[in-house]
Amino acid sequence: MNEYILRTNNLYKKYKEDFALINVNLEIKKGEIYGFIGQNGAGKTTLLRIATGLAFPSKGTVELFGESSEEGLTQSIKRIGAVIESPAIFPNMSAYENLELHRLQKGIPDKKSIDKTLELVGLQNTGRKKSVNFSLGMKQRLGIAIALLSDPEFLILDEPTNGLDPMGIVELRELIKKLNREKEMTVLISSHILSELHQLATRYGIIHKGKLLEQITAVELNEKCRQYLRIKVDDPSKGATVLEAELGIADFEVMPDGTIKLYSHLDDIQKVSKAITKNNLIIEHFSQTGDDLEGYFTKLVGGVDND
Amino acid sequence: MINLIKAELFKLKRNNTFWVLMGVVTVFFALANYLVIIDWWQMHNTGFYNIGLKEYNAMDMVKLPLIFNLIISTLGGFFINIDYTTGTIKNQILSGNKRSHIYLAKLIVFSLGAVITAVILPLITVIIETILLGRSEIYTGTTVMYLLRAFSLYTLIIIAYSSIIMLIASLTKESGKTIIITIIMTIILFVIEKTLVLKYEVVRRIYENSIFYQIYQAFNPSITSNEIGTNILISLGTFIIMSYCGSRIFKKQEIK
Repeated sequence: MNEYILRTNNLYKKYKEDFALINVNLEIKKGEIYGFIGQNGAGKTTLLRIATGLAFPSKGTVELFGESSEEGLTQSIKRIGAVIESPAIFPNMSAYENLELHRLQKGIPDKKSIDKTLELVGLQNTGRKKSVNFSLGMKQRLGIAIALLSDPEFLILDEPTNGLDPMGIVELRELIKKLNREKEMTVLISSHILSELHQLATRYGIIHKGKLLEQITAVELNEKCRQYLRIKVDDPSKGATVLEAELGIADFEVMPDGTIKLYSHLDDIQKVSKAITKNNLIIEHFSQTGDDLEGYFTKLVGGVDND
Repeated sequence: MINLIKAELFKLKRNNTFWVLMGVVTVFFALANYLVIIDWWQMHNTGFYNIGLKEYNAMDMVKLPLIFNLIISTLGGFFINIDYTTGTIKNQILSGNKRSHIYLAKLIVFSLGAVITAVILPLITVIIETILLGRSEIYTGTTVMYLLRAFSLYTLIIIAYSSIIMLIASLTKESGKTIIITIIMTIILFVIEKTLVLKYEVVRRIYENSIFYQIYQAFNPSITSNEIGTNILISLGTFIIMSYCGSRIFKKQEIK
């Protein structure tokens, strides 16, 4: 069985003179919740549009469920549910009618799936109310309901929290977690609101100015973003001995440049510094450091901009 | 494909413009036919008049490109283009159906809507009015045959014209642009009919092999079998060429 749900190979997209995507090699494995991060205009939606067959690459290929031929991709799209950019709904139809239309288009035999999906997104009580009269959040939920109607294996949500209130955001997050956990649904969420993704994603892709800068798992990212004390002393090996012998600390690393990364005792800085100085070591640098997702992203993107 | 047609029918039934258009067409033709039947509006030398159906004279308007274009382009603008303006065209692509099937299903249902509004409704209106106003004696074997033949050919022409409108609507993606472009197109056509066709042999030949000339032929009481064949061929040819071109364009179109 194919491990990858979505793979892009050396993908380029050019609009007139500008490249929206440059050599993007994105990989999403089965069961992942993939957080696709990028600023506005970074190329997130362009990539999603290409992945779902709404747009075509200028160069490179897309592989969905292991299929990359035109026929295979069309068939594979049936296994996807997606909300790209804004929810696509008929304003003069009710929530039920919008779902009924999509049910007919997709050839879903079970009419009961409509009620189930409406309940899942909390729109079961909208009755005959036309969706033109829905709030932004309700429209967003309806868009998600359309995406979920066919019980897709792969769910693509482009900026899904747009228009949702804080409660709605929490509910959506829980819903995505539930679908991923219970139905093993692979999810791709694009967003520029990083805190949203941090609580959800199991893997991240960071895109900037059309280039996929990095793909990193949540575990790797947490490792990279872990808070630590950065200590630089005149004798690193003695420093390490002091930490081990005097403070009984094992959770530290000595880096090649001699810097010690201490991952514990973040609330007990004085005790650490006292132990070091007591052993006649000269402290050259002592600070608490580490990133959150936002910081990590800013550094990564900033680094590219400065190149 | 069947699913897609069902979905398009579902949309057509819920399309407000379609219902408004049906109301307007019914009222317009009911009034026009009534004025003709009571002899308030008199016309001579129409195809209907010459075959003994003078009560149908108001139906001569259906031959005018400006009239049938206004009906079909309005429907096209608001039935086809709404998919682009609401973004629901994205859901159709994401349904995993082939783009050519999506286009064809849309065209079939749009053509059906066009035939209902531009052919069936005006025809039913005049049939009911002539019967209600005591003119049922006009329906003889000859006139019924004429009506059947003329409106069958006209239906094919309307289907062919729908494929042109569908192509334009798919290119413009906006209802306003679709309607304006097709109105301009009919004005240009009128100018060509009145000037270039009379002056240049090539233009005349092209025009005579287009559906716009064949509309007049469809209502010609003395049309020959050969001319009927040509009429059908031109309608079918137009439909096939326009559908193929539209489908190819739609296949390459990027959806925003």
